[in-house]
Amino acid sequence: MSTETSAASAQFERVLKLADLPAGSKKAVEINGKCVLVCNVNSKLFAISNICSHNEKPLERGRLGNGWIACPTHGARFDLATGAALNLPAKLPVATFEVRTTDEWIEVLV
Amino acid sequence: MSDTIKLADLKKGEARCPGAPSTQDIIAADKVAAPGWVRSESYQFLGDEDISKDRYIDPAYAKKEITSLWAKTWQFACREEHIPSVGDYHVYDLGPYSFIITRVAENDIRAYYNACLHRGTKLRASGTEGNAEEFKCSFHGWTWNIDGTHKETLCPWDFPHVEFKKLTLPEAKVERLGGFVFINMDKDAPTLAEYLGPAAKSHIDAWKLENRYIYLHVSKRLPCNWKLAIDAFLEAYHVIETHPQVAPSNGDANTQYDVYGEHVNRFISPLGVVSPHLYGKISEQDVLNQFTLGDSSAMGDTKLSVKDGGTARAVMAEMFRGMFEKATNTDLSKVSDSELLDCFSYTVFPNIFLFPGISLPMIYRFRPDPRDHRKCIYEVLFMRPLPLDGNRPMPAEPIHLEDHQSFCEAEGMDPGFGAILDQDTDNLILQQEGLEASAKPGLTLGNYQEIRVRHFERAVDKYVKPNS
Ligand code: FES
Ligand code: FES
Ligand SMILES: [Fe+2]
Repeated sequence: MSTETSAASAQFERVLKLADLPAGSKKAVEINGKCVLVCNVNSKLFAISNICSHNEKPLERGRLGNGWIACPTHGARFDLATGAALNLPAKLPVATFEVRTTDEWIEVLV
Repeated sequence: MSDTIKLADLKKGEARCPGAPSTQDIIAADKVAAPGWVRSESYQFLGDEDISKDRYIDPAYAKKEITSLWAKTWQFACREEHIPSVGDYHVYDLGPYSFIITRVAENDIRAYYNACLHRGTKLRASGTEGNAEEFKCSFHGWTWNIDGTHKETLCPWDFPHVEFKKLTLPEAKVERLGGFVFINMDKDAPTLAEYLGPAAKSHIDAWKLENRYIYLHVSKRLPCNWKLAIDAFLEAYHVIETHPQVAPSNGDANTQYDVYGEHVNRFISPLGVVSPHLYGKISEQDVLNQFTLGDSSAMGDTKLSVKDGGTARAVMAEMFRGMFEKATNTDLSKVSDSELLDCFSYTVFPNIFLFPGISLPMIYRFRPDPRDHRKCIYEVLFMRPLPLDGNRPMPAEPIHLEDHQSFCEAEGMDPGFGAILDQDTDNLILQQEGLEASAKPGLTLGNYQEIRVRHFERAVDKYVKPNS
């Protein structure tokens, strides 16, 4: 289970104006001490840990594909929806977070 | 007329399906006229001896192909849309080979051998894409710039014997055509234009395939040698027995076959006309009703009917133009009936098919399985014209089917077309096993309808040189 929704204290936090994340873009934010990458791919929003499970390098400069992000350091790809590692050199998943929009704001459950 | 032709009077390869109009006759009667590349013929008799079967069943032959054929020919590695921005890369694998196809600058695409120059680790995993500002090896971190020059090495004091300035990633040749990125490992290879020849190149240029995008990409391992799989798609001779559901609306026995130079051949299989095998058995309305489309998802549920004296083909062309325009948001007013309806199948040696038509807008690619000469990897990519608004959608991610799955299980696959591919696959396992079991050393080919098989296998012979 890679989605971190279990903590009783988890709650939706406003992170970005929807207008500030146009289609095809991504932005790294820090929420309650967690490095989260919020992505807009094909008009769908995803929030994923910004830290690669292979060698803990940031994912934020990686390429967004159809449903995945590729780590720029050694090329591991992760499924944006589940966080699953799609190819070597990563095998472990990265955390994903629930996202929603309210009043033109993007909110992430952390 | 044709009934009275004595076959003995014809030279080898001159006989055509008796009593049926030619593909060119059918196209000449269409309302919106076809362009020059459609309205020409280029058949050539290339001999009638049997094709040796060792090429399909001998593992040593497959091994020889790796260095003599695959390392010497132009291959479609990816589409430009797979690497739209500077730094984008796409890993292309062929047998044991692997390349990182990288956009180094807006108009500079390179193909790096996908191996670290330290101790050989792949710099990027097979089957992947991404964007790189540098290529860093995951083993000891040796790093190259995206232009292939060496960038850094951990503890350089330990490598006084290495000239890092010269430690540039080796490259294969790269050429671009119609939105395709082709690579060739042979430094002495002819240019892609020479390889294709002027006639075939002019056809490909006319299609403007750079203005298409991939909206569906399906991949599956097939239970046969890669050449058997290709051969199975080179003729319409098998349609009546293998795909009887298609025959009512496919001019199979009067399909046109052409060869161009050493590496390109084609057929034009007219659709919206009845098979000569079924003359007198079905009506024009039946033809219309049973038309099977590769891209029927674009058509919706419209029902068509043939008016008295009309032809199914004319009705289809008229309706298609409107429906495809609407569904794909493109202008097709100048596109001929033939391009809208017919199946144009081109092969670029060694392993791709291009289908530039509108109703069957596809690319096939076949690659050998490096571990098993009795298996190959088949991909079908469905292409659509770019939307009128000019925005290029992201190319579809490949869907990888398991060996046991039907093509119909791929999301977005037209069920009629998926069923056709399943029928072809089922033949192939029987053919692979049959060739191994056979007492006959070769395969026998028809002079006209199977000319593409002969042409293709001749090119295989040229590269692999059976007696060397
Ligand atoms: S740090 Fe991401 S792939 Fe190595
Ligand atoms: S093998 Fe690549 S850095 Fe050692
Ligand atoms: Fe077939």
